[in-house]
Amino acid sequence: MKVSLFITCLSDAIYPRVGEAMVRLLARHGIRLEFPEIQTCCGQPAFNSGYWDAARESAATILRAFDDSDFVISPSGSCTGMIHHYPKLFEHDSVLLEKARKLQAKSYEFTQFLVNVLGVADIGATFPHKVTYHPSCHGSRLLGVKDEPMTLLDNVKELELVPLPFAEDCCGFGGTFAVKMADISAAMVSEKADHVKETEAEVLVGLDMACLMNIGGNLRYRNEPVRVMHLAELLAEGAGLL
Amino acid sequence: MADAERERLRQTDDIQHTEAAQIESAQTESAGKEAAHRQWLKRLEEQSRAKQEAFMAGIAGRLKRPRVMEAPVHPFRGAPDFWRGFELFPEERVARFSEHWRSVGGHVARLPDLGAVRSFIAEKAAEMGAKIVLRQNEPELAALGLEEALPDAEVSVWNEDGGTDWKARAAEADFGVVMADHAAAHTGTVAVLSSKDKGRSVSLLPTALFIILPAERIRTRLGEVLTELDQAGRERLPAGVHFISGPSRSSDIENDLTIGVHGPGIVYALIVG
Amino acid sequence: MSAKAEARTVKARAELALNDDFLRKAVKFTTERLRSGKKNASSEQGNWEDWRERGRQIRLHTIANLDYYLNLFANNARANGVQVHFADTGAEAVQIAMEIAERKRAKTVVKSKSMVSEELHMNSALERMGIETIETDLGEYIIQLAGETPSHIIIPAIHKNRYQIADVLSKVAGEQLEADTTVLAGFVRKKLRENFLEADIGMTGCNFAIAETGSMVLFENEGNARMVTTLPKTQITLMGMERIIPSFEDLEVMATLLPRSATGQRITMYMSAITGPRREADADGPEEMHIIIIDNGRSLQLGDPEFQELLNCIRCGACLNACPVYRHIGGHAYGGTYSGPIGAVLTPALNKNVAEWDDIANASSLCGACYEACPVKIPLHEMLVYLRRRKVEQGHGNKAENAGMKGFGTVMRSAKRYSAAVRMGQLGQKLVVRGGEIRSKLGPLKGWNSVRVLPSLPKQSFRQRFKTLDEEIRAGLQEMSPDVRSRMEEALKRQRDEKPEQGGHGHG
Repeated sequence: MKVSLFITCLSDAIYPRVGEAMVRLLARHGIRLEFPEIQTCCGQPAFNSGYWDAARESAATILRAFDDSDFVISPSGSCTGMIHHYPKLFEHDSVLLEKARKLQAKSYEFTQFLVNVLGVADIGATFPHKVTYHPSCHGSRLLGVKDEPMTLLDNVKELELVPLPFAEDCCGFGGTFAVKMADISAAMVSEKADHVKETEAEVLVGLDMACLMNIGGNLRYRNEPVRVMHLAELLAEGAGLL
Repeated sequence: MADAERERLRQTDDIQHTEAAQIESAQTESAGKEAAHRQWLKRLEEQSRAKQEAFMAGIAGRLKRPRVMEAPVHPFRGAPDFWRGFELFPEERVARFSEHWRSVGGHVARLPDLGAVRSFIAEKAAEMGAKIVLRQNEPELAALGLEEALPDAEVSVWNEDGGTDWKARAAEADFGVVMADHAAAHTGTVAVLSSKDKGRSVSLLPTALFIILPAERIRTRLGEVLTELDQAGRERLPAGVHFISGPSRSSDIENDLTIGVHGPGIVYALIVG
Repeated sequence: MSAKAEARTVKARAELALNDDFLRKAVKFTTERLRSGKKNASSEQGNWEDWRERGRQIRLHTIANLDYYLNLFANNARANGVQVHFADTGAEAVQIAMEIAERKRAKTVVKSKSMVSEELHMNSALERMGIETIETDLGEYIIQLAGETPSHIIIPAIHKNRYQIADVLSKVAGEQLEADTTVLAGFVRKKLRENFLEADIGMTGCNFAIAETGSMVLFENEGNARMVTTLPKTQITLMGMERIIPSFEDLEVMATLLPRSATGQRITMYMSAITGPRREADADGPEEMHIIIIDNGRSLQLGDPEFQELLNCIRCGACLNACPVYRHIGGHAYGGTYSGPIGAVLTPALNKNVAEWDDIANASSLCGACYEACPVKIPLHEMLVYLRRRKVEQGHGNKAENAGMKGFGTVMRSAKRYSAAVRMGQLGQKLVVRGGEIRSKLGPLKGWNSVRVLPSLPKQSFRQRFKTLDEEIRAGLQEMSPDVRSRMEEALKRQRDEKPEQGGHGHG
């Protein structure tokens, strides 16, 4: 069975440690994550801005990259969510539409795959820190990834999970939104960072590096000593794999 | 008869004639206006009927299909199936209704019979100093004998005569007294239906409202009451069916709850039986 | 009109709102309260997802057969003695209302809250005729006196505090009123009571219209809509053509969804079903009743697979309360009659002038909170993307962005170009990186770095280090347990059987 890693451009270029964490964690269950090098970006920035021709160019590359994979795993609910938009994107192209549907059916956000497919609830990690969790909008709302990260976090030894107030509120990233509507985005991320601060957590964990880059960037700007990490990183570190 | 007297009578007579003529001409004028108004309405209706066809054809055109002329199959009519099976026992209905009615600031009293209702209202009238009481023209309310029970108040019966401005009467009333036609426990709602004997104003304009609710009229779900309106059919529906679930309220100023904004601020559900 | 409405773009209006500390606090406070009210009310009701799905199905069915149900409604309303009118445009609807008012020699019109009326600017039209037009919903009355427009579908005066309200009402009272909610509401009750009794015409909106009986249904808490439909001799109801539901049985579903979603109430204090004018022997209720059925851009959504569901909206305002953008900028920043996520989509859709509503569709992070809150599951977050796409397709895109996105497509088509771009970044960033981060606010970094720090690119991207990593993994790979293997095989089977819907959701 071919299990492929869809790294997403953000984790590829800025947060390679997240990909490494996924590779090492899955290897423990006998899965050698394969990495098709022709993959690029899911196309979301162009898609969300209304430039669907450009989005299709990007998406077609992704379709090609994972054509012969059995499972496609990504560290982002948002980018996996974008793949769920592919059938709409290719609704007028019967060949690619069929491929898009197939890709949609075999695409998983990392914790979805770990918990729902592999049935892994306890990674055997220990992480003696106070942690709060931000559920990213696309993963939780559009993919319905809500319980999976909680299951994994609950089973980490010595981890103190503090609920994040108004956790389900958007952090204000929204891709190009953060640039186009910078003032509104700034107000939103500041509010989110306030809530993180309220928890007094040492670590903010999430499933999407874009949101975490946004919140983390604001916390850093304010010199708040909160460490920001992807859940895969936390689990791999806790299991001594990173 | 003196000339002067005769002259005076003639003049009076003239005046009377003139007045009569004026009244007659006013009547003709008003009849004329009435007819002109009907004409106008008729013209509007013709315009409307013609426009209706174009409007519907436009919709069908947009939907890219011929017009739907037969009732389409509606597989999702009404509440989901699991909900239709939801039914409380009679005592639970009374309890649920009361709980919900109270939760929004309404008052509830459980009373054994109409005699107790009469004493209850009399007591409240004395307590609040009610001077004007208006009730619907219904046999159960007549049987209350409020006139005797409230010697200090003026009790009127809705639309009892044609000479009174009943809306103004309702507006000055301290108490309105109505029968609930239906009720639903799940939402804490009563329904009152309008008729010539049951003014919509009686449950709306007075300062305090007393709704007499026979316990057996409380159903579990709002849908049970609504379905009956479907079953009654268009021709049997009254002009106004009003569902009331508590006192008038608003949160429009700083989200701060205020009771009794336009409708009655004091609302009693008197559950009988 | 406030400065907020005069500013030309959403961005400019939002900036004004963001600097209005009171506004932000007020909107935040109220939307949070409404949002948590909804959460409690929907969980108290239970099976919320089933109710939402049922509500959506009823609305989908009605709109798909709108010609049948609307026609049935019109015929039944007429049989009830109602004068039914059809208006293609807002101007036509206003014209009809003005003709009625003129015929009736109306001096005063009392109104209950209606968003359609706001959409048509009915009040100013009537006032130009010299007719006193009085909003009677407490919040609407306040903003009418202040000369403003509603900034929330349900709570029109959400942006005003009680001191501001006391000032507005004191002018009418001719004396200084205490800034106390009870005092202020009491004053309005007394003042408007006279108007209700004396007005010539009562004007309402319409929450739902029952096709099978020709009844119109109003939800409210204050009792003013009942006053308006009970006391004046003539009633005019303004009704969007999509307000239809087939039956009273269907109303139970709407009555379950609307108040809970709007204010977190089990049901509003009043729900009135008006079936025609007063009966001959009745002593109250209007003698004459008109219903004006209004298109005004609604039918443009019919047959448009991307936007038809907009007509399912029941105007509860839940999407406003859920929206993090609305919470920060308030309703006026949207610049149209309807605000929040629904307004961002509805305004350009009704007017079919995407270009003029320049950035309104951009004022969203696409977080999907609106969709999640919507009691009839309108995918507003997707519609916002469709709007953006249509704007680009029609050639109204921003030039720099056009070029940028074209470049994006070209780069992302090939991993080679993509990798080259990453390498260029790794080298180029040296100019701005200090201690592993980028704090510069120059050029394109300004928006982001005004409140954030940008991380730098590490020396090696994932793909640059994958080979080494993979070799290490291959050397020490564990054997897959039979349990994991069988689970994966099951998943493969599920994937093959799965028929994902377009834009579908998760693996559950």
